[in-house]
Amino acid sequence: MKRASVAALLVLIAIPLLAAMAELPPHGSSETPAYTHVSERYLQRGAQEAGAENIVTDVILNYRGFDTNGEVTVIFTSVVAVAAILLLRDEERTSQERSSTPVSPVLLFIVRTMAPFIALFGMYVILFGHLSPGGGFQGGTILGALVIVSTVVLGPDVAHRMVPAPARPWLQAAAPLTFVTVGLAGLAVTGHYLGFPSGDEWGWVGTLMLVVIEIGIGVGGGTIMASIFWMMEEER
Amino acid sequence: MIEALWTNLDYAASVVLFSIGLYCVITRNNLIKKFMGLNIMETAVFAFIVALGVVEGGDAPIMGADASPPFTNPIPQALILTGIVVAVSTTAIALSLIIRVYRQTGTIEADELREME
Repeated sequence: MKRASVAALLVLIAIPLLAAMAELPPHGSSETPAYTHVSERYLQRGAQEAGAENIVTDVILNYRGFDTNGEVTVIFTSVVAVAAILLLRDEERTSQERSSTPVSPVLLFIVRTMAPFIALFGMYVILFGHLSPGGGFQGGTILGALVIVSTVVLGPDVAHRMVPAPARPWLQAAAPLTFVTVGLAGLAVTGHYLGFPSGDEWGWVGTLMLVVIEIGIGVGGGTIMASIFWMMEEER
Repeated sequence: MIEALWTNLDYAASVVLFSIGLYCVITRNNLIKKFMGLNIMETAVFAFIVALGVVEGGDAPIMGADASPPFTNPIPQALILTGIVVAVSTTAIALSLIIRVYRQTGTIEADELREME
Protein backbone atom coordinates (compact mmCIF):
# COMPACT_ATOMS: atom_id res chain seq x y z
CA MET A 1 0.00 0.00 0.00
CA LYS A 2 2.65 2.45 1.07
CA ARG A 3 4.91 1.37 -1.77
CA ALA A 4 2.12 1.87 -4.30
CA SER A 5 1.28 5.35 -3.04
CA VAL A 6 4.95 6.37 -3.15
CA ALA A 7 5.23 5.09 -6.73
CA ALA A 8 2.08 6.99 -7.67
CA LEU A 9 3.46 10.17 -6.12
CA LEU A 10 6.75 9.80 -7.99
CA VAL A 11 4.94 9.29 -11.30
CA LEU A 12 2.76 12.32 -10.57
CA ILE A 13 5.88 14.43 -10.01
CA ALA A 14 7.86 12.97 -12.92
CA ILE A 15 5.20 13.39 -15.62
CA PRO A 16 5.02 17.23 -15.50
CA LEU A 17 8.81 17.37 -15.31
CA LEU A 18 9.20 15.12 -18.35
CA ALA A 19 6.57 17.13 -20.22
CA ALA A 20 8.53 20.29 -19.49
CA MET A 21 11.80 18.63 -20.58
CA ALA A 22 10.18 17.69 -23.90
CA GLU A 23 9.33 21.35 -24.50
CA LEU A 24 12.94 22.52 -24.06
CA PRO A 25 15.10 23.33 -27.08
CA PRO A 26 16.91 20.26 -28.45
CA HIS A 27 19.92 19.13 -26.45
CA GLY A 28 23.22 20.45 -27.86
CA SER A 29 21.64 23.18 -29.97
CA SER A 30 23.60 26.42 -30.24
CA GLU A 31 20.41 28.43 -30.89
CA THR A 32 19.04 28.26 -27.34
CA PRO A 33 18.30 31.53 -25.52
CA ALA A 34 20.66 30.41 -22.76
CA TYR A 35 23.52 30.42 -25.28
CA THR A 36 22.83 33.38 -27.53
CA HIS A 37 22.61 36.29 -25.09
CA VAL A 38 24.89 36.70 -22.09
CA SER A 39 27.27 33.83 -22.65
CA GLU A 40 27.91 34.91 -26.23
CA ARG A 41 29.29 38.18 -24.96
CA TYR A 42 31.31 36.42 -22.26
CA LEU A 43 32.82 34.11 -24.87
CA GLN A 44 33.67 36.93 -27.26
CA ARG A 45 35.12 39.44 -24.83
CA GLY A 46 35.72 37.57 -21.58
CA ALA A 47 39.40 36.83 -22.20
CA GLN A 48 40.28 40.51 -22.81
CA GLU A 49 37.78 41.99 -20.38
CA ALA A 50 38.03 39.80 -17.32
CA GLY A 51 41.68 38.78 -17.24
CA ALA A 52 41.57 34.98 -17.58
CA GLU A 53 41.58 32.75 -20.64
CA ASN A 54 39.31 30.25 -18.90
CA ILE A 55 35.88 31.83 -19.28
CA VAL A 56 34.44 29.78 -16.41
CA THR A 57 37.02 31.38 -14.11
CA ASP A 58 36.09 34.78 -15.54
CA VAL A 59 32.42 34.20 -14.76
CA ILE A 60 33.09 32.90 -11.26
CA LEU A 61 35.63 35.47 -10.08
CA ASN A 62 34.94 38.54 -12.17
CA TYR A 63 31.48 38.80 -13.73
CA ARG A 64 29.80 37.08 -10.80
CA GLY A 65 32.43 37.83 -8.17
CA PHE A 66 29.87 38.95 -5.61
CA ASP A 67 28.18 35.56 -5.85
CA THR A 68 31.45 33.75 -5.22
CA ASN A 69 32.28 36.14 -2.39
CA GLY A 70 29.06 35.04 -0.70
CA GLU A 71 29.81 31.42 -1.51
CA VAL A 72 33.21 31.37 0.21
CA THR A 73 31.45 32.89 3.20
CA VAL A 74 28.99 29.98 3.05
CA ILE A 75 31.73 27.35 3.24
CA PHE A 76 33.42 29.22 6.07
CA THR A 77 30.06 29.40 7.87
CA SER A 78 29.63 25.66 7.36
CA VAL A 79 32.89 24.86 9.15
CA VAL A 80 31.87 27.21 11.98
CA ALA A 81 28.46 25.52 12.19
CA VAL A 82 29.96 22.02 12.22
CA ALA A 83 32.28 23.10 15.03
CA ALA A 84 29.35 24.58 16.95
CA ILE A 85 27.28 21.41 16.55
CA LEU A 86 30.00 18.87 17.28
CA LEU A 87 32.46 20.50 19.65
CA LEU A 88 30.00 21.86 22.22
CA ARG A 89 29.58 18.93 24.53
CA ASP A 90 27.00 18.60 27.28
CA GLU A 91 28.62 15.68 29.00
CA GLU A 92 32.25 14.98 29.67
CA ARG A 93 33.39 12.41 27.21
CA THR A 94 35.77 9.76 28.34
CA SER A 95 38.70 9.65 26.00
CA GLN A 96 38.34 6.54 23.90
CA GLU A 97 41.16 4.43 22.65
CA ARG A 98 41.54 4.79 18.93
CA SER A 99 41.09 1.56 17.08
CA SER A 100 44.59 0.46 16.19
CA THR A 101 44.17 -1.74 13.16
CA PRO A 102 47.61 -1.93 11.57
CA VAL A 103 47.74 -0.28 8.15
CA SER A 104 48.80 -2.41 5.22
CA PRO A 105 52.41 -1.66 4.17
CA VAL A 106 51.32 -1.52 0.53
CA LEU A 107 48.86 1.26 1.35
CA LEU A 108 51.47 3.10 3.42
CA PHE A 109 54.01 2.92 0.60
CA ILE A 110 51.54 4.10 -2.04
CA VAL A 111 50.29 7.03 0.03
CA ARG A 112 53.81 8.09 1.00
CA THR A 113 54.96 7.93 -2.61
CA MET A 114 51.94 9.65 -4.09
CA ALA A 115 51.52 12.42 -1.49
CA PRO A 116 54.04 14.89 -2.99
CA PHE A 117 52.59 14.40 -6.45
CA ILE A 118 49.03 14.87 -5.22
CA ALA A 119 50.10 18.09 -3.50
CA LEU A 120 51.87 19.26 -6.65
CA PHE A 121 48.83 18.48 -8.79
CA GLY A 122 46.54 20.33 -6.38
CA MET A 123 48.76 23.42 -6.52
CA TYR A 124 48.95 23.18 -10.31
CA VAL A 125 45.17 23.06 -10.56
CA ILE A 126 44.90 26.11 -8.28
CA LEU A 127 47.58 28.21 -9.97
CA PHE A 128 46.58 27.41 -13.55
CA GLY A 129 42.86 27.85 -12.98
CA HIS A 130 42.82 30.92 -15.20
CA LEU A 131 44.54 29.16 -18.13
CA SER A 132 43.27 25.59 -17.98
CA PRO A 133 40.40 23.64 -16.44
CA GLY A 134 40.61 24.00 -12.69
CA GLY A 135 40.64 26.73 -10.10
CA GLY A 136 40.60 27.35 -6.40
CA PHE A 137 37.70 25.10 -5.41
CA GLN A 138 38.89 22.13 -7.47
CA GLY A 139 42.52 22.38 -6.35
CA GLY A 140 41.48 22.98 -2.76
CA THR A 141 39.42 19.79 -2.84
CA ILE A 142 42.48 17.86 -4.06
CA LEU A 143 44.61 19.29 -1.24
CA GLY A 144 41.86 18.57 1.30
CA ALA A 145 41.58 15.00 0.01
CA LEU A 146 45.35 14.60 0.45
CA VAL A 147 45.11 15.67 4.10
CA ILE A 148 42.13 13.33 4.65
CA VAL A 149 43.94 10.38 3.06
CA SER A 150 46.95 11.10 5.25
CA THR A 151 44.73 11.18 8.33
CA VAL A 152 43.28 7.78 7.50
CA VAL A 153 46.51 6.05 6.45
CA LEU A 154 49.40 7.80 8.19
CA GLY A 155 47.47 8.72 11.33
CA PRO A 156 46.13 12.03 12.66
CA ASP A 157 49.46 13.10 14.14
CA VAL A 158 51.16 13.25 10.74
CA ALA A 159 48.17 14.91 9.11
CA HIS A 160 47.80 17.54 11.84
CA ARG A 161 51.37 18.64 11.15
CA MET A 162 50.39 19.47 7.55
CA VAL A 163 48.08 22.21 8.85
CA PRO A 164 49.80 23.72 11.92
CA ALA A 165 47.37 24.33 14.77
CA PRO A 166 48.18 28.05 15.36
CA ALA A 167 47.57 28.87 11.69
CA ARG A 168 44.43 26.73 11.39
CA PRO A 169 41.75 29.35 12.15
CA TRP A 170 43.39 31.78 9.73
CA LEU A 171 43.68 29.15 7.01
CA GLN A 172 40.01 28.18 7.48
CA ALA A 173 39.06 31.81 6.98
CA ALA A 174 41.57 32.27 4.12
CA ALA A 175 38.97 32.24 1.34
CA PRO A 176 36.69 35.06 2.61
CA LEU A 177 39.69 37.02 3.90
CA THR A 178 41.58 37.04 0.58
CA PHE A 179 38.35 37.71 -1.28
CA VAL A 180 37.56 40.78 0.80
CA THR A 181 41.19 41.96 0.69
CA VAL A 182 41.37 41.68 -3.11
CA GLY A 183 37.91 43.24 -3.38
CA LEU A 184 39.08 46.23 -1.34
CA ALA A 185 42.27 46.44 -3.40
CA GLY A 186 40.03 46.60 -6.47
CA LEU A 187 38.07 49.37 -4.76
CA ALA A 188 41.29 51.32 -4.26
CA VAL A 189 42.55 50.76 -7.82
CA THR A 190 39.41 51.00 -9.95
CA GLY A 191 36.83 52.57 -7.66
CA HIS A 192 34.58 49.49 -7.58
CA TYR A 193 34.52 46.71 -5.01
CA LEU A 194 35.98 43.62 -6.76
CA GLY A 195 36.90 45.78 -9.75
CA PHE A 196 39.69 44.18 -11.76
CA PRO A 197 41.88 46.41 -13.91
CA SER A 198 41.75 45.34 -17.56
CA GLY A 199 43.27 46.39 -20.85
CA ASP A 200 46.72 45.87 -22.32
CA GLU A 201 48.65 47.92 -19.79
CA TRP A 202 47.00 46.89 -16.53
CA GLY A 203 45.59 43.51 -17.53
CA TRP A 204 48.35 41.65 -15.67
CA VAL A 205 47.24 43.27 -12.39
CA GLY A 206 43.74 41.89 -12.94
CA THR A 207 45.14 38.43 -13.67
CA LEU A 208 47.36 38.62 -10.59
CA MET A 209 44.33 39.48 -8.45
CA LEU A 210 42.46 36.50 -9.90
CA VAL A 211 45.39 34.19 -9.06
CA VAL A 212 45.59 35.56 -5.49
CA ILE A 213 41.87 34.87 -5.00
CA GLU A 214 42.31 31.37 -6.44
CA ILE A 215 45.13 30.63 -3.98
CA GLY A 216 43.03 31.94 -1.09
CA ILE A 217 40.03 29.82 -2.12
CA GLY A 218 42.24 26.75 -2.64
CA VAL A 219 44.03 26.95 0.70
CA GLY A 220 40.86 27.91 2.56
CA GLY A 221 38.72 25.26 0.87
CA GLY A 222 41.27 22.50 1.46
CA THR A 223 41.68 23.41 5.12
CA ILE A 224 37.91 23.52 5.61
CA MET A 225 37.48 20.05 4.04
CA ALA A 226 40.18 18.63 6.29
CA SER A 227 38.86 20.38 9.42
CA ILE A 228 35.31 19.11 8.90
CA PHE A 229 36.69 15.61 8.44
CA TRP A 230 38.77 15.85 11.61
CA MET A 231 35.83 17.06 13.68
CA MET A 232 33.65 14.19 12.46
CA GLU A 233 36.46 11.68 12.78
CA GLU A 234 36.89 12.44 16.49
CA GLU A 235 33.37 11.10 17.03
CA ARG A 236 34.31 7.49 16.48
CA MET B 1 6.22 14.18 -26.87
CA ILE B 2 8.10 10.88 -26.85
CA GLU B 3 10.13 11.98 -29.86
CA ALA B 4 11.01 15.30 -28.22
CA LEU B 5 12.00 13.42 -25.08
CA TRP B 6 14.25 11.18 -27.13
CA THR B 7 16.24 14.18 -28.45
CA ASN B 8 16.34 15.54 -24.89
CA LEU B 9 17.36 12.22 -23.40
CA ASP B 10 19.95 13.87 -21.14
CA TYR B 11 17.27 16.00 -19.53
CA ALA B 12 14.93 13.02 -19.15
CA ALA B 13 17.75 11.09 -17.45
CA SER B 14 18.08 13.83 -14.86
CA VAL B 15 14.33 13.56 -14.15
CA VAL B 16 14.76 9.83 -13.55
CA LEU B 17 17.71 10.50 -11.24
CA PHE B 18 15.66 13.12 -9.40
CA SER B 19 12.85 10.60 -8.88
CA ILE B 20 15.31 8.01 -7.54
CA GLY B 21 16.57 10.57 -5.03
CA LEU B 22 13.02 11.50 -3.99
CA TYR B 23 12.19 7.81 -3.57
CA CYS B 24 15.14 7.45 -1.19
CA VAL B 25 14.08 10.51 0.81
CA ILE B 26 10.50 9.23 1.20
CA THR B 27 11.02 5.53 1.83
CA ARG B 28 14.33 5.20 3.67
CA ASN B 29 14.15 5.15 7.42
CA ASN B 30 17.80 5.86 8.17
CA LEU B 31 18.61 9.57 8.36
CA ILE B 32 21.92 9.19 6.53
CA LYS B 33 20.20 7.30 3.70
CA LYS B 34 17.51 9.97 3.54
CA PHE B 35 20.19 12.57 3.19
CA MET B 36 21.94 10.54 0.50
CA GLY B 37 18.65 10.67 -1.38
CA LEU B 38 18.70 14.47 -1.08
CA ASN B 39 22.24 14.46 -2.46
CA ILE B 40 21.11 12.35 -5.42
CA MET B 41 18.36 14.92 -6.10
CA GLU B 42 20.96 17.71 -5.97
CA THR B 43 23.15 15.79 -8.40
CA ALA B 44 20.20 15.40 -10.78
CA VAL B 45 19.62 19.15 -10.81
CA PHE B 46 23.34 19.80 -11.36
CA ALA B 47 23.49 17.31 -14.23
CA PHE B 48 20.41 18.90 -15.80
CA ILE B 49 21.78 22.44 -15.68
CA VAL B 50 25.23 21.42 -16.97
CA ALA B 51 23.53 19.49 -19.80
CA LEU B 52 21.66 22.68 -20.70
CA GLY B 53 25.00 24.30 -21.52
CA VAL B 54 26.24 21.60 -23.87
CA VAL B 55 26.71 22.69 -27.48
CA GLU B 56 27.06 20.10 -30.23
CA GLY B 57 30.78 19.76 -31.03
CA GLY B 58 31.67 22.53 -28.58
CA ASP B 59 35.09 22.84 -26.94
CA ALA B 60 35.79 23.81 -23.35
CA PRO B 61 35.40 27.61 -23.05
CA ILE B 62 39.14 28.30 -22.71
CA MET B 63 40.51 31.00 -25.02
CA GLY B 64 43.96 29.64 -25.78
CA ALA B 65 45.92 30.49 -28.90
CA ASP B 66 44.43 27.65 -30.94
CA ALA B 67 40.89 27.80 -29.55
CA SER B 68 38.12 27.89 -32.10
CA PRO B 69 34.34 28.14 -31.76
CA PRO B 70 31.91 26.68 -30.98
CA PHE B 71 32.44 26.66 -27.24
CA THR B 72 30.17 25.17 -24.61
CA ASN B 73 28.20 27.59 -22.48
CA PRO B 74 30.37 28.73 -19.53
CA ILE B 75 27.55 30.10 -17.37
CA PRO B 76 25.90 26.80 -16.33
CA GLN B 77 29.31 25.40 -15.44
CA ALA B 78 30.13 28.39 -13.27
CA LEU B 79 26.71 28.31 -11.58
CA ILE B 80 26.99 24.60 -10.85
CA LEU B 81 30.48 25.02 -9.41
CA THR B 82 28.88 27.41 -6.93
CA GLY B 83 26.04 24.96 -6.37
CA ILE B 84 28.35 22.03 -5.67
CA VAL B 85 30.27 23.99 -3.05
CA VAL B 86 27.05 25.00 -1.29
CA ALA B 87 25.85 21.37 -1.49
CA VAL B 88 29.08 20.25 0.21
CA SER B 89 28.52 22.81 2.97
CA THR B 90 24.94 21.70 3.61
CA THR B 91 26.03 18.04 3.55
CA ALA B 92 28.68 18.73 6.17
CA ILE B 93 26.19 20.49 8.44
CA ALA B 94 23.52 17.80 7.97
CA LEU B 95 25.94 14.97 8.73
CA SER B 96 27.17 16.70 11.87
CA LEU B 97 23.56 17.23 12.97
CA ILE B 98 22.97 13.50 12.43
CA ILE B 99 26.05 12.71 14.53
CA ARG B 100 24.66 14.97 17.24
CA VAL B 101 21.24 13.26 17.08
CA TYR B 102 22.94 9.89 17.42
CA ARG B 103 24.95 11.08 20.40
CA GLN B 104 21.84 12.38 22.18
CA THR B 105 19.42 9.55 21.40
CA GLY B 106 21.48 6.54 20.34
CA THR B 107 19.62 6.04 17.08
CA ILE B 108 19.30 7.57 13.62
CA GLU B 109 16.24 5.60 12.52
CA ALA B 110 13.40 8.00 11.81
CA ASP B 111 10.61 5.81 13.25
CA GLU B 112 12.49 5.13 16.51
CA LEU B 113 13.12 8.86 16.86
CA ARG B 114 9.41 9.53 16.36
CA GLU B 115 8.47 7.07 19.10
CA MET B 116 10.93 8.71 21.47
CA GLU B 117 8.96 11.95 21.79
